Amino acid sequence: MSEVIEAPGASNDVAETTILPLEIIDKSIGQYIHVLMTGNKEFKGKLVGFDDFVNMVLEDVTEIDNDGPSSTPIKQLLLNGAHVAMIIPS
Amino acid sequence: MSTDPSHFLSNIIGSSVTVKLHNGVKYAGVLQSIDGFMNVVLQNGTEVAGESSRTYGDVFIRGNNGMYE
Repeated sequence: MSEVIEAPGASNDVAETTILPLEIIDKSIGQYIHVLMTGNKEFKGKLVGFDDFVNMVLEDVTEIDNDGPSSTPIKQLLLNGAHVAMIIPS
Repeated sequence: MSTDPSHFLSNIIGSSVTVKLHNGVKYAGVLQSIDGFMNVVLQNGTEVAGESSRTYGDVFIRGNNGMYE
């Protein structure tokens, strides 16, 4: 059995300290997030769930575009992840 | 309780939905089916574009255009 030589302190620390992008999103479930789309559009709402494509289910969503925020929040929506640029947990 | 997108979609089959495309046009109708590409079939689909609204029977929307329910 071959032995792997590791630098001191490099053993399990990598797994513990590396934060995967999807982990950040997973920790935001149940919280309000900002979603910035490519193009001048933004969504603010409570994250209910997401998948590997970063399609997202959001609740009580305010859509913000060039004309400002929408007046009536959307109760529940599925956002296509194809044009998501950034997700900001609040 | 709906959590991830696939659960959400199976939960809302048969209900009234609005699909907004990237160009801003909305289509409202009864959600008949949806697949993994987010292709959508609406029954009694109506186009909601400002003043004008057109009514169709069944509407197929190719998934890459859809933005939300």
